Parts: sequence; structure tokens; C-alpha cells
Amino acid sequence: MVLVVNQAYDDSGHEDSGHPERPERVSAVRAGIDDLHLGSDLIVVPDRVVTREELTRVHDSGYLEELAAYCYEGGGDLDQDTYATFSSWPVAKQAAGAGLAVIEELHRRGDGVGFVVTRPPGHHALRDRAMGFCLLNNIAVAAAALRSLGERVLIVDWDVHHGNGTQEIFWNDAEVLYVSTHQWPLFPGSGAASEVGGRLAIDRTVNIPLSPGATGDILRQAFDDIAAPVIDSFSPTWVLVSAGFDAHRADPMGDLHLTSNDFAAVASSVANFVPRPGRLAMFLEGGYDLDALRSSVHATLRSVLGEAVATEQSSRGEPRGDYVTRVQRDRLAAIEALYSSHDEEST
Amino acid sequence: MNTLRTIAVGYDGSSGSEAAVRWSLTLANATHSTVIVLHAIGLLEHLYTAYPRDVTPPAIVAMAKELAFDEQRLHWHVDDGDACSVLLRAGSSPLDADLLVVGSRGRGQRTGMLLGSTTLEVAEHTLTPLVIVPSRFEED
Repeated sequence: MVLVVNQAYDDSGHEDSGHPERPERVSAVRAGIDDLHLGSDLIVVPDRVVTREELTRVHDSGYLEELAAYCYEGGGDLDQDTYATFSSWPVAKQAAGAGLAVIEELHRRGDGVGFVVTRPPGHHALRDRAMGFCLLNNIAVAAAALRSLGERVLIVDWDVHHGNGTQEIFWNDAEVLYVSTHQWPLFPGSGAASEVGGRLAIDRTVNIPLSPGATGDILRQAFDDIAAPVIDSFSPTWVLVSAGFDAHRADPMGDLHLTSNDFAAVASSVANFVPRPGRLAMFLEGGYDLDALRSSVHATLRSVLGEAVATEQSSRGEPRGDYVTRVQRDRLAAIEALYSSHDEEST
Repeated sequence: MNTLRTIAVGYDGSSGSEAAVRWSLTLANATHSTVIVLHAIGLLEHLYTAYPRDVTPPAIVAMAKELAFDEQRLHWHVDDGDACSVLLRAGSSPLDADLLVVGSRGRGQRTGMLLGSTTLEVAEHTLTPLVIVPSRFEED
């Protein structure tokens, strides 16, 4: 199977000295891809400019204008975590366009797996606000483009942080299923199991919050027991992944204890829901330890390309008792409450 | 009847947020309200030096003493998230603040603007009454 990636572009202008979201992250990911030695099975697609119409499907036009103007004036801090520079606006547009280019190539080929190597990341970016190192929500732009073609899109987000921006953007969209595994409590503070979607999309959001120290066995069990049945009944026609690798045990941004092999294992589970070849694309989100990022990308891609993974061992921890039952209970109670309030309003 | 039961005020250690806390304590002294001092732990603070979750910063304690504020009605609350989201959440359960108070500018804010971006965003989205305290309040 071929791997489709976007062409490298100059993101060096989007950098803030000492900030962990830095250009070297992309170099580490590219090295993880090179380690696969794919030869002619590695397809690099050229740049693609994102259009204003494609951006405004998920972002308010006022926000886009404000962000562009802020960058052209020289940029600065957008909040306590997020920066923009003079170059950030064109770099962010490149990142959003790269996802569309990879998806279009997968669609044309009807084969392969896509990996979108971009920064800044996107899954915290809200409809009208930058947040959490993110300026434009790259995966949401891609999902909205697929939605406009009538596709049913599954987004799986295994970054250590909850993808609050993606969740918010598709909160009431029944044709997009958002599944997130993340550490909780942790930034951004959202992602409780009881957040299950809006009234127009009940059970189209699946949040699986994991306690600090959680290991890969817990993650896999939670994904298989909680998310898999919902995905199965949703029957996606496309699968997108917010592939953050900061849940790795070596990463300084979180406190989960995953290994590269754990990412490979959950990627394999996700790949089971891809309806046919050429319908899986992964988007780089977090991942700030460069060695862990390189090995995790390598293991993940080997897994979804159908090759054996032999890097770190999978992680195992203490039994977590009725963890899955508790998450399920919170989810079902929230779903029931939404249906009840809907019924009351109807009568 | 006193309906101003709970005042939530944002604090990030900046002089602007200290002015907002001072203003909140002064108001709460007059209205016998409870004051929740909110602090948002963002991505970078989690990475480097996070404020302790259980210990009220000495600067806040000192300010309360100076203003003879009843410490039983002073609460330190740390929440994960960006400052804007944490402040907006304070208006709903479980904190249920009746009034939000922010400084006009905090740390890590856009330069060259009259108000900080967090303050502007909170003002745009909040459903809870909001007071924006100018930094000069402390000096006056």
C-alpha cells in the first residue's frame, strides 16, 4: 500500500524562540517516514492553496480577517500559549491546504494511506479563536470538505489533549462522528464522557477521558469497548485521525504512559473502520519529544500500512477496575438526558 | 436581598489581574459576597511551572489581609484550559458565579491593543455580567 504525504513547505517563519511547537517537529516526523524506506510507495503531493470558501466552512470570516491582519502587523502572543508571527498566516493556510491535497490524491488513486505533516497543529482552534498552539483547524477543514461531497466522516483524535475545537465545530453535525481519547483533567478542560454531541447530533461525540498514568492496555480496551460499537453503527465513508503523539510516556506535555507500539495498536484498531482503500488520512497534531515523535510516527505508519511493528513494547498498567463501565454510564446518562429534554420540548 | 453571592475573578499573576482581584475583594467586602480567584493552567504552564492547585498564592492572601477580607469567603480555584474558556465556565455549574471580573490586560496578551485578547473574548462570549478593571485601579 502506498503512503501519500504532503510536500514539505517552508514553515520556518512560524517560530517563537524556546516554544515547544517548533519546526524541528516536522523534521522528526519526516525522519520517521524516511525510516520506513518506502521507495516508490511514498507519494509526495504538491502544495494546494486552501480557498476562503473552504476555510469559512469551519471558521468565522471575521476571525480569519483578524488573524491575517494580526500576522501582517507582525504578530505576537494570541493568548498565554499561542503565538503568531508575520509568516504565520501563509504557513497556517499551507497547513490547511496540505490536508486537502492529500485527501484529493487518495480519492484520485482509490488507494493508500495519507499522512499530513503540518504545523501549526489544529485541533484546539475554535470557529472564532486561536487556542492551544493552533491557528486554523486543519482536520476540520478537511472533514468539512468531505462533508460537502456528501461523505460521512469519522474523526479519531488520540492526542493527549482533548480536541475541543474539532468537537465544537461538529457538535451538531450528525454526519461527523468525533471520537477522542485524552488525558483528563488536562488542558483544555473539556472532553468529559458526558459530552456526547448536540441535540442535532446526539451520540456523535465520544469522549474517553483517561487518568494520568494510563497505559496502552487501558486505551485499547476503552477504544474497543466504548468507541468501536458507536463507530460500527455510524458506518463512516472516510476516516480522519488527529494524530498527536504527546500521549507518549517520554513527552513533556502530558502524563499518559503510552509507547510507540500503543499508537500502532490503536491505529490498527482505527484502520478496521476504513471502508475501503484510500479513505484514511492522518493529521499531525501534538508531539513534542522529538525521538518519541519519530518512533511513534514510524510505528503508527508501519501498522496502518500492514507491516509488523517491532519497536517499543506495548505498555500495561494496574487494572483500572470498572473504568470502562463508569465512562459508559456517564455517556449513556448524558444521551438519555438529551433525548428526555428533546421529548419534553416536543410535547 | 443580596443577589451578588459569588464573584469570580481571573488571576494570572500580572499587575492587571492583581488590580482585578483587589477590586473584587473591595466590592465583596461591601456586598458580603464570596470571591473565587480563578487561575487557568494552559499548555505552557503545565509544561513549566504550574501554580499549586491547593495553595492560594501569597500575593492574594496578603491582599485579602490588607483589605481585612474574611478568608472564609476567599477561594482559590485552578482549572485546566485557556484563560478565556476557564473564565466563561465560571458562569455555569459548579461555580455559578454571579459576576466575572477581569483585568484590562493580562500576561501573554496581544500587544498594541487597549484591551487584552482574553478580556475581549470574554466580553464577547459571556452570558454572566462582566466587570473589566483598568490596571490603574491598583495605583489609585
